[in-house]
Amino acid sequence: MSQDSGRPANCANPIDAIVLADYWLAALPAAEEETLEEHLFTCDECGARLREAIALAEGLRNLAREGSLQMVVSDAFLRRAAEEGLRVRQYSPPEGGSVQCTVTAEDNILIGRLAADLRGAERVDLSICDERGVEQSRMRNIPVNPSEGSVIVQESITFAKAAPTSTMIMRLLNVEEAGDEKLLGEYIFNHTRSLPGPGAW
Amino acid sequence: MEIELNDAELVRLIGCGDDREAEAELFRRMAPRIRLYGLRHLRDEHASDDLTQQVLITTLEALRTGRLREPEKLASFVLGTCRMTVLNLRRGTERKAHLLEQYGAELPVAAQPAITLDRDLLQRCVQGLKERERTVVVMSFYDEETGSDVAGFLGISEANVRVIRHRAIRQLRECMGVAR
Repeated sequence: MSQDSGRPANCANPIDAIVLADYWLAALPAAEEETLEEHLFTCDECGARLREAIALAEGLRNLAREGSLQMVVSDAFLRRAAEEGLRVRQYSPPEGGSVQCTVTAEDNILIGRLAADLRGAERVDLSICDERGVEQSRMRNIPVNPSEGSVIVQESITFAKAAPTSTMIMRLLNVEEAGDEKLLGEYIFNHTRSLPGPGAW
Repeated sequence: MEIELNDAELVRLIGCGDDREAEAELFRRMAPRIRLYGLRHLRDEHASDDLTQQVLITTLEALRTGRLREPEKLASFVLGTCRMTVLNLRRGTERKAHLLEQYGAELPVAAQPAITLDRDLLQRCVQGLKERERTVVVMSFYDEETGSDVAGFLGISEANVRVIRHRAIRQLRECMGVAR
């Protein structure tokens, strides 16, 4: 026995993937959510697209849990990670100062909490430099809230676990409209390798 | 011979008597939709499976006893039952044990295979987002923070958060090759 079920073989009004993602996030107004659910109960094509949205959401959650993304995070992120039983290793070097750091096999998330006065900053970049201060990479226009007074940066735990003993310098920069850069804070991380591996990259 | 049935015909067949094939078709048709509803509202695969079973039992019970007066509204009935059941689950007032005892053995409900994404590709795609976009999608999908919470953290408007989130999702879908 097959079916047509009132279900169109090709949906005449397919729901946009973005709307489905918002539905998954409970970010739709109630009336819109009700209408969408009525559609989903008659349209398996849109149901399949919702499953794709869920798969993307799950993939993002898994990546976040792995701690392998280099990104700015929030305190809520750290709370969530702790609730999930993830082990968070966090370093908070003073502005202009340094900190001795490492990661162990048990660590899941690696965080640097960078204190800085962000008031009046137009665009904030995070410059990641080697021990000589030569920029190796840059996170441009990072999300900051000027009232927070710090930036919480997650370094990839996968990278950190593989890294040899070395020094990394992070610099928060205010990039002005004309392109001029003003140093907001510099932070030195003296990383000591505690996992077996090669002595250099 | 293959028989094409719409929802109303399916309801009538089940109401007429002991049509196991029609009941199996009802399960096959509705179970994936109920499960998606459950995943969205209960955020748990096992709870969604339980919901699917419970709603199918309730629906079957209603159809067998002819309680669905407008057969063409089967989908609306099932959706309404989902909403009521989730409310009841949240209130902790379950008929589940009784219903499962009565009908449970009859339910041939198979879970839909989950979609799995290429993890390494997804990581590259996420790292390819702009910093703000990456933070917004992770705050939204991992922390499950509301638009208002994300806006508060970033010091921007909720509307702006929505725009950033939508742009990021579109870019991720394109990068993953699922954009349609």
